[in-house]
Amino acid sequence: MDFHLTIEQRDIQKAASEFAKGEFDPDATLDYDLRQQFPLTIWKKACELGFIGVCFPEEYGGQELGLLENALIVEAFCRQDSGIGMALALSDFGSEMILRNGNGDQKKRILPFIVHGKGIVTSAFLEEGYFLAPLATAAKISQDGCMINGMKSFVTLGSMADYIIVVCQTRPDTPNAQAVILLEREIDGIEVSSMGEKVGMRMIPVDHVAFTNVRVPVENIVGQEDTGYFQLQNFLNEMRIKTSAMGVGIAQGGLDKALEYSKKREQFGKPIASFGAVRNKLADMYIDVEMARLITYKAAWSFDIGAPDDRVILMSKMIASKAAYRNAYEAVQIYGGYGYMTEGHIEHFYRDAKVLDLFLEPGQIQRAMLADHILGMMSER
Amino acid sequence: MTEPDAGSDLSSIRTTAVREGENYIINGEKIYISNGILSNLIVVACKTETENQSPHKDISLICVEDGSPGFSRGRNLEKTGWHSQDTGELIFRDCQVPVSNLLGEEGGGFYYMMEKLQQERLVSAIMSQASAEAAFNMTLDYYKQRKGLKQAEIPIDANGIAEMATDIEIERTFLNSLIYDHIKGEDIIKKVSMAKWWTSDMTNRVISQCMELYRDYGYLEDYKVGRFFRDVRAHPIYAGTNEIMKRIIGRKLGI
Repeated sequence: MDFHLTIEQRDIQKAASEFAKGEFDPDATLDYDLRQQFPLTIWKKACELGFIGVCFPEEYGGQELGLLENALIVEAFCRQDSGIGMALALSDFGSEMILRNGNGDQKKRILPFIVHGKGIVTSAFLEEGYFLAPLATAAKISQDGCMINGMKSFVTLGSMADYIIVVCQTRPDTPNAQAVILLEREIDGIEVSSMGEKVGMRMIPVDHVAFTNVRVPVENIVGQEDTGYFQLQNFLNEMRIKTSAMGVGIAQGGLDKALEYSKKREQFGKPIASFGAVRNKLADMYIDVEMARLITYKAAWSFDIGAPDDRVILMSKMIASKAAYRNAYEAVQIYGGYGYMTEGHIEHFYRDAKVLDLFLEPGQIQRAMLADHILGMMSER
Repeated sequence: MTEPDAGSDLSSIRTTAVREGENYIINGEKIYISNGILSNLIVVACKTETENQSPHKDISLICVEDGSPGFSRGRNLEKTGWHSQDTGELIFRDCQVPVSNLLGEEGGGFYYMMEKLQQERLVSAIMSQASAEAAFNMTLDYYKQRKGLKQAEIPIDANGIAEMATDIEIERTFLNSLIYDHIKGEDIIKKVSMAKWWTSDMTNRVISQCMELYRDYGYLEDYKVGRFFRDVRAHPIYAGTNEIMKRIIGRKLGI
């Protein structure tokens, strides 16, 4: 067993961290958050420098890196800023389904498009009511093509995406009969409406996407006609690891800021870092980051060796989201009144961190899934 | 009270009030002042003596009215929550107020504040308790009519709901007894410090869990639980941070 990152991995980590420090201007960050705008310029630069789509094959412009390397980048970005970090990490949301299940033509169309920063890709699977099987959004598939009707909710970047990868029910009587279909945002019958303001993650619009008699050729089906459910489950598993990396980054970012501030801020004639109450918090925060990082890297590693460990992946998302939340909470507390003010540059970490508990699926569902696993009630992959 | 360099350590305030004839001349800056922008009358904690005295005996409370010469407002600060009130900065540049604006006696300010902070902390605990109760009741109503939950999730949710209801119920009993003792005029500084930190922690814990019962919807501002979430984050900070509360409790216990 070796816990060291390779030289290449450390180089990637360093490059991502330097990019984030250089490009995520703190005041611009607050402005993006306040105006609820996606950081377009920074995202373009991140694409130019090869930070997006690193797992894609070289022939499609990627670097054929593993999920662990991708996780290192996401962590470094979220560590510097929770909002920009998440926005960049989610700018190719769903491309994993093309990468893992798509055919050559689909990969050629989508993956270089993402890598070169030509546009945003997202995926739409959640619906009002939350059932993932059967889905209400239905696709009628024949030789002439697919016709899609229904509505998706909680579509991140729905209003900005150039491509939407949608998961549809193909046969209503078989809950798992689903298809993953690639759609250009511009085609007829797609209507996007905002789900309104959010507590955090404000650089990323979250939308309803309605489909009315949307027609696309069968060539747009990603993977097999009826295997969409399993493709989605695999995608969610991969996204859990990426989400854990966001959590590690936010938890570490909260700790970084708390350390810096507590050494600088003086009360009662000495730095607040010298008080037991603050020192205890700093130690707890350090523990949380380390635990979250260890299990996140283990989850990514298991994925990269081709044997994704579902239990570790579930745990990593729960542990890292909680670490992010707790560390952001405590960082705000250490900042005191300044922590509650936007200009303290820490309160948005707290608002942003809370989404990780809810993103993909909430902790309750993950606990239920983990319990099934450890009780032997869920079939192992 | 609060200044850029004087938060938890109230005795280190730097705003000065120097007596000149029938007036005080006030100089200094205050920050994170609730209603700092909207207020018409402000009770300002100032240093009135710089001689070699105990730092606790040189603070006085002086009233400054809107329009007093040399008094101006700074920024209205953006913050996580509490958007229905402003949090502002106050600036005093040779601000002139009549000596009759002094509250109580010169040098008594620190003690007046300490006396009144018992009530502020009790009110803070009540606010935390009320927020937890309101958010919890709202969430429970929502959860009961919510469709699309999986069978496996419900027992896990129900367990959390039972724990939250218990936290809220127990704290209400404690708070009610404190309100009663406070009205009787008893010194409840130790217990009120306990209530302030515990209730403000509890309300954050409860409301964070409530958001999870809303699932993704909890993150949308339309569902109000998010506003509770943003608002109550201030509770463990203001009216004396929870860390200061624990320090007071420790002292009262003789450690």
